[in-house]
Amino acid sequence: MAADTQTSTANALPPPRTEVGVIGWMHANLFSSRLNSALTVVSGALALVILWYGMRWVFWSADWTVVERVGGLFLIGSYNTELACPGQNCFWRPQVSLLLVTALLGMIWGILGGGVAKRIAILTAVVAALFAFLPYSLERMGWDVRILLLANLPSTAIGWAVARYTPLGQPRWVVAWGVVVFLITLVLQRGLPNVPGLQPVSVVYWGGLTLNLILAVGGISLSLPIGIALALGRRSNLPMVKLLCVVFIEVFRGVPLITLLFMSQTLVPLAFPEDFPQNSLFRAAVVITLFSSAYMAENIRGGLQALHPGQAEAARALGLPGWQTTMLISLPQAIRNVIPAIVGQFIALFKDTSLVYIIGMVDIVEIGRVFISRPEYLPSAREMFVFLAVVFWVFCYAMSYVSRHIERNLGVGER
Amino acid sequence: MAVLRQYLTYQGIPVWRHALIIQWAAQIASAILVVALVMWFFGNMAFAIDDREIPFGFSFLSREYQTPIGEHILPYESSDTFLYALVVAATNTVVVAVAGVILATLLGIFIGVCRLSPNWIVARLATVYIEFFRNVPLLVQLFFWFYIILALPTVREGYVIADLFYVNNAGISFPSPTASGAAPALVWLALAVVAVVAGVIVHHRLVRREEETGRQSYPFVVGCATTVGVAAVGWLVLSGIFGEAPFAVSTPAPQGRFGRIDGGVTIRAGMLVMLIGLVIYTASFIAEIVRAGIQSVGRGQTEAARALGLSPMNTLRQVTFPQALRVIIPPWISQCLNLTKNSSLGGVVGYTDLTNVAITMTQTAPAINIFLMLMAAYLAMSLTWSLIGNLYNRHIRFTG
Repeated sequence: MAADTQTSTANALPPPRTEVGVIGWMHANLFSSRLNSALTVVSGALALVILWYGMRWVFWSADWTVVERVGGLFLIGSYNTELACPGQNCFWRPQVSLLLVTALLGMIWGILGGGVAKRIAILTAVVAALFAFLPYSLERMGWDVRILLLANLPSTAIGWAVARYTPLGQPRWVVAWGVVVFLITLVLQRGLPNVPGLQPVSVVYWGGLTLNLILAVGGISLSLPIGIALALGRRSNLPMVKLLCVVFIEVFRGVPLITLLFMSQTLVPLAFPEDFPQNSLFRAAVVITLFSSAYMAENIRGGLQALHPGQAEAARALGLPGWQTTMLISLPQAIRNVIPAIVGQFIALFKDTSLVYIIGMVDIVEIGRVFISRPEYLPSAREMFVFLAVVFWVFCYAMSYVSRHIERNLGVGER
Repeated sequence: MAVLRQYLTYQGIPVWRHALIIQWAAQIASAILVVALVMWFFGNMAFAIDDREIPFGFSFLSREYQTPIGEHILPYESSDTFLYALVVAATNTVVVAVAGVILATLLGIFIGVCRLSPNWIVARLATVYIEFFRNVPLLVQLFFWFYIILALPTVREGYVIADLFYVNNAGISFPSPTASGAAPALVWLALAVVAVVAGVIVHHRLVRREEETGRQSYPFVVGCATTVGVAAVGWLVLSGIFGEAPFAVSTPAPQGRFGRIDGGVTIRAGMLVMLIGLVIYTASFIAEIVRAGIQSVGRGQTEAARALGLSPMNTLRQVTFPQALRVIIPPWISQCLNLTKNSSLGGVVGYTDLTNVAITMTQTAPAINIFLMLMAAYLAMSLTWSLIGNLYNRHIRFTG
């Protein structure tokens, strides 16, 4: 019997050349039928034309000097100008925040091991270090800033080593460290009165990508818990709580964000006493967060609704009290099932931070627009907005990339 | 303590452990909290209105607005009232929203189907489209298109295609039908409606005949032929009676030294940028919704349809897509809603939409009242979309 099998394997013909290898792949995917072949030719020609003209524009006809001219302003806006912090170089403050962030990414890499975390940590550190070699147009920027930028490489390594070889390498410490980093960033950016070297900088001078990221990180980390609370409130059987949540969600979802942002600057100050401590950045952050959490609530409600009622019933039958049933049984499963929608909302929030121009804040897009409105840069409008598009695209694509990996690790759609 | 416990019981359970009472207490507490907060806000606002003499009230609506509105579809003069100016602005928003939704849906379905194509290049191109336009803020895209249109040549030096289409930095002009007189135009429009109804009836009849007898009846072709035929006969008869055709074609033509374009229809630059930006952006989301919807239909359905001998196109049109619609409609509605709300970015590219006009108005009229009206208008639009979606959802849901 065994001999028979062996002979038949030995005598078997190789598969036809049109079914395997490159030719087989092309046969299956490009030329499986006459219509498919025609489609291949047309779409291939289209792709080549787009690629040819795109490449020619990027490397030949486009004039990228405007992007170089703006340079470091993209990152921090008017933060380091004489107006914002007179007689002082403040560029190091956002740089120190960046160092803390790369250390945090290093720690996450240390805990999760290789894979996505490693790639993102290394990529961020390398890009940050490469910034040191960019031709900056900022006058008030010395060698120390370049050294701080290069220090992102060792800081990632330190974060990794701390997570690997000390008892701090636990998820709960990383979360705590993340919160601390965010708070330190806020304090560093704002400055403290009466501390030499930490002169207060008014929030109206915060700008550039730093502003987008601060708004996005704050909004993302707060809109998820608020959204969960609203979703649970909307499903609650207490009519009063339910009514409040429904009204909140529907009002915030039904009105454009820029209307809300504009109201936050004209009407909300009226709703508080004149001496109430508040500032425009804080109000904008609150509005963006609440707007996003209304959407988040609907996503999570969708996940809760899709959950089989048997799960909650089984938990109650085991004797878990109501809040434990929700926190330990329903919510984790519901959230796992709607991860794509939640990350989609994170991405939407990050994109929405570009709308703060409406209340006079100079985020990265507004900086580009301000430069383009000068006559000498007007012909470079295309280059400017293509560059901005690529910047946003990198962050948003990274988020959806991470979400796809989380989904795969949690086995969404498989259990 | 024991006495306290004895009196503070309900149905034999201490009140602080009675679920019903805890729930009611929580509800009353939250209601009081919210009411107190709202009253505090309104109190502060009322104080500020009094103290700082902030204008308040709806009397401004009947005043003259006296500010030009850049692009308007309804006729508008600066001497019109605030109320009418708001109506004009709201019309702009509604027009761009409805046109945008129709175009974005068509493009989105096309890209979504391409994404699932067995052809590797087509699927890849669709993926690149989706992943790029979905991950870039609409604001950046609008600015990009705005400067592209701005860089087009002026009206006098613009592109002219066959003396019919004019493309320049003021917008796009193309021929349009114009009524030659009120009576013939209205009569022919009425006839056209009759023609469509007749076509639909013929289509239904033939479909039923095909289903009952199995004879091939070409319901779609015959139905369309009926509609076109009735409309054409009406056109000829009316031309005979009135001595001229009910509609003539008006072609755009540049007039005067500065090359103003008269005749035809012009989609002006602001609206053009809004439409291009909104459609391309929203289509990338709709494409993903369509893809997910089509993938949600079981493979067995497609295989069974192919086994019955349906062509791939017919399988998609008659088997897969109708079932996918159930999954597609709810997220599609929320994209329509998003597109409507995103049209509020019109101001940045010079399109005078509702939000843009309202924000301009706050300089000469009470801001609080204008924002109240603005919120009400957008909430009404959202509710309209939800209503359409829910009605359609009820129409297509599983029955029996």
